[in-house]
Amino acid sequence: MNNTLAFVSVGLMAGGIFLAFLRLLVGKTGPDRAVALDTITLISTNLLVFIALFEERSMLMDVAIVYSVLSFLGVLALARYLDGGLR
Amino acid sequence: MNPSLASALAVFLGGMMLAASVVVLFVRDLLSAIIITGMISLSASVLFLLMDATDVAITEASIGAVLATLIFLWGKGKMGGRE
Repeated sequence: MNNTLAFVSVGLMAGGIFLAFLRLLVGKTGPDRAVALDTITLISTNLLVFIALFEERSMLMDVAIVYSVLSFLGVLALARYLDGGLR
Repeated sequence: MNPSLASALAVFLGGMMLAASVVVLFVRDLLSAIIITGMISLSASVLFLLMDATDVAITEASIGAVLATLIFLWGKGKMGGRE
């Protein structure tokens, strides 16, 4: 695959992670930070899928599946806590 | 992947981990500290993947990023309103 494509894609994904990271650091309320963490996890999963496609390593695809399931579980626990449950 | 690209990504993730771990010292409420700790663990997991340690990355993501966050949230719920 083209080398320029890898640089541009990884650069754009790193920029997205950085913007969500700024919201994670300076976010005023708890739900702001929870949504920022969810966004960071989602972009990281996309990064893993891109690396698996670019390097043709199918092992990373399994890791991406596990990541998405675990991130759903973590955000579910956070949302449950913010709703007042989890006691 | 290109070695310089992988190095740049590793430096970016490491700098993000460093900034988050400095910020978590000065943040005021416990919920933000728990969420930022989960993000640090997630970045560590992606760094493990860049170092070709797949099983370590899966374990770090499941235990560090999800199970620790869940247990911290459970404990914070048990504490009630006081911090």
